[in-house]
Amino acid sequence: MSALGILVAGALLVASLAVPKFGLLAKWKRHRAYRAKSRSEDALKHILAWQHRSKLASLESLAGTMGLRPAAVLRVVASLQTAGWVESSAGGIALTASGERRALQVVRAHRLWERHLSDDANMPMAKLHQAAERAEHSLSREQVAELDAHLGHPQHDPHGDPIPRPDGTISALHAVSLNEWPVGRPALIAHLEDEPEAVFRQILLANLRPMRVVKVAESGPNHLVIEVDGGQHRIERSTAANIHVREIRPQDALPSARTRLSDLAQGACGEVAGLSPDCQGLSRRRLLDLGLTPGTRVEVALDNTFGDPRAFRVRGTTVALRRQQADQVLMRPFPPFSGKEAAP
Amino acid sequence: MTPVSVTPQAVLDRSDELRRGLDGSFRDSMVTSLYQRAGELAGRSVREQGAGKWDFDQRIDRILTSRWLGLPVMLLLLGAVFWVTILGANVPSQMLANAFFAVEAAAAAWFESMGAPWWLTGLVWHGTFRGLAWVVSVMLPPMAIFFPVFTILEDLGYLPRVAFNLDWLFRKAGAHGKQALTMAMGFGCNAAGVTSTRIIDSPRERLLAILTNNFVPCNGRFPTLIMLAVIFVAAAFPPAVAAFAAAAAVMAVVLLGVCFTLGVSWALSRSVLSGEASAFTLEMPPYRRPSILRILYTSLIDRTIFVLGRAMLTAAPAGALIWILANVQAGGTTLAERSIALLEPLGTAIGLDGVILLAYVIAIPANEIVVPTMLMCYLGGAMMMDITTYEQIREVLVGQHGWTLLTAVNLMLFSLLHNPCATTILTIWKETRSARWTALGALMPLGLAFLVCFATAQAVRLLPL
Repeated sequence: MSALGILVAGALLVASLAVPKFGLLAKWKRHRAYRAKSRSEDALKHILAWQHRSKLASLESLAGTMGLRPAAVLRVVASLQTAGWVESSAGGIALTASGERRALQVVRAHRLWERHLSDDANMPMAKLHQAAERAEHSLSREQVAELDAHLGHPQHDPHGDPIPRPDGTISALHAVSLNEWPVGRPALIAHLEDEPEAVFRQILLANLRPMRVVKVAESGPNHLVIEVDGGQHRIERSTAANIHVREIRPQDALPSARTRLSDLAQGACGEVAGLSPDCQGLSRRRLLDLGLTPGTRVEVALDNTFGDPRAFRVRGTTVALRRQQADQVLMRPFPPFSGKEAAP
Repeated sequence: MTPVSVTPQAVLDRSDELRRGLDGSFRDSMVTSLYQRAGELAGRSVREQGAGKWDFDQRIDRILTSRWLGLPVMLLLLGAVFWVTILGANVPSQMLANAFFAVEAAAAAWFESMGAPWWLTGLVWHGTFRGLAWVVSVMLPPMAIFFPVFTILEDLGYLPRVAFNLDWLFRKAGAHGKQALTMAMGFGCNAAGVTSTRIIDSPRERLLAILTNNFVPCNGRFPTLIMLAVIFVAAAFPPAVAAFAAAAAVMAVVLLGVCFTLGVSWALSRSVLSGEASAFTLEMPPYRRPSILRILYTSLIDRTIFVLGRAMLTAAPAGALIWILANVQAGGTTLAERSIALLEPLGTAIGLDGVILLAYVIAIPANEIVVPTMLMCYLGGAMMMDITTYEQIREVLVGQHGWTLLTAVNLMLFSLLHNPCATTILTIWKETRSARWTALGALMPLGLAFLVCFATAQAVRLLPL
């Protein structure tokens, strides 16, 4: 009796370990494969990042970034070499042409996923990077292509980094560090570096976002005073090095207004100047589809018990928007000054 | 011009190439130009006749969504719907029950005179037919009143205003304002409510709406609530205000359900379904004059007959099952007595009893048959006493089976919170395609129901009330 019991228990134990697909052994194997894949992809990204800074990665730099023991790093590099993705020389480790394409695919998955989290899931900027660091290794090429089409083939990730194209090419970022920008001249924020995280948090605290207009008001030896979105902030020059800006072009079509739809009082009227550049993807499309295009007349129609959401009269329909959405619609006072209208 | 041969791939390549030259704002310009063109066309061909209709709509909206009146008016309308239902359903229910039991008695006598074996008569008439009769007489009148009245509100265009009034609460709970609309659908049928969550785009907020839809008492559960409200609440008031008191009690349960919806949504959106609020835009359609014929058709044919048909489909076999449980003996006691004895300790712990739990087990396919099942179990298959009025039901429950106010309150709570019916569970699976979410959607409410009922039972027993 007890012998039979032991036998059954033993059989169950073996089964729970060895059943294909569901057993612990299969799980462990999958975990190992995933870990190896994510490690080699992280290594490729690191080497690529260093090459962009015209430096060669080394075993030490890899070990530092990835938090691995030298022996583990050595194994990762060996596997990359076998795959024909990297070449090591006395100066360091360099990507081969196929290795660079592979690395760019990972970067592409990462940045598209960030775009998706920001546009579709409304995730705050500060959390994007960590989430995408995990997702980038488990997206297949088909999934990435599908995501790209779903997002409408975006060119930049939410921080302003260009997204590599499927063929492994990437457009360069034409922007300079804020430290090099002349005082008093407005500039457009093209890119914010999201690593290291502590610096990125400082950037976000200073109300800096891609596509916002920034002006350096005062330049000190170690700090800058900047004006952005109607407020002044003091940032360190080391932080400013992670902010890249460029000239404002007419085709950027930036709405110049300061008032937001949410600022309008009950019963007030206004004319849409445009949507805030912070509002991208699904939410932007939704607002546009409701007819909130530049030049549209909007009237605040209804309040409610809690003061949020409020309903607005747009193009003959009544539409309710939460404060968060109404914040994204920039307004000019209505009716516009007649003098302005007469000018060509 | 000579035709140029172009391969599909070349077209795709060229479009890719051109796309690189576009900046992000081309979508904005596209929509802007579309609206501009549409505006021009409409300006040329559509003539507006004053703004009278819109002014009128807005005057109504100013009241229905106003800072001070919006919520009270909403509660008043909901209360009125319940009051009309309770007031109107009482008499027809009794008449239907009387008629059905007359048929049952006559048919059973006829069967016996034909020499049919006792078990056939029992199974067909005292089991299957009685189950059907109970479901029809308990459910048909409230449904035939509730659905048309509710459909009028829906047809007028009032429901989007409810979503507008309540959105702030849903936002605080991390949910979507349109969840209020799916809850309104849930009043009719939770399965329909779960399907209607498709109007919510964000998957996270949609899952919240699916998992909490059960906390809106569906039409199958209303008869239970109404019966308890009439027997235990209305009885304590003079006849003049009894119907108001009953309606207020049902309202209180519904509001409690709303609180649970918000609370559970809040808890879920801070645990398993954490994330940010998605964009919320809600169009508020102009008010329309309801079309009476269409209302009668959709509410009576589409809803009443559909829900009642489903209830009858499950009530017939359930009636037969109860009859078998009550009449098949094993070791001197009937199967019903055995299973009731088995469930009794658990039932007592949560302030209910074994019969109620057995009724809920049998009623998993459809909540509608809870009250009939319970009464059939209490009365026993062999007893021929037909009860048709609420006073008689009260006599059976309080007089013969020791129900107290605690039993009534806990049954209301259990009815509000317990697991969704089999159809709803199946619908959750169809909508989510995930065994895990389905399991959570079924077990979370059940656990909550046991927890809340246990807490109230212990509190009442410990406190010297």
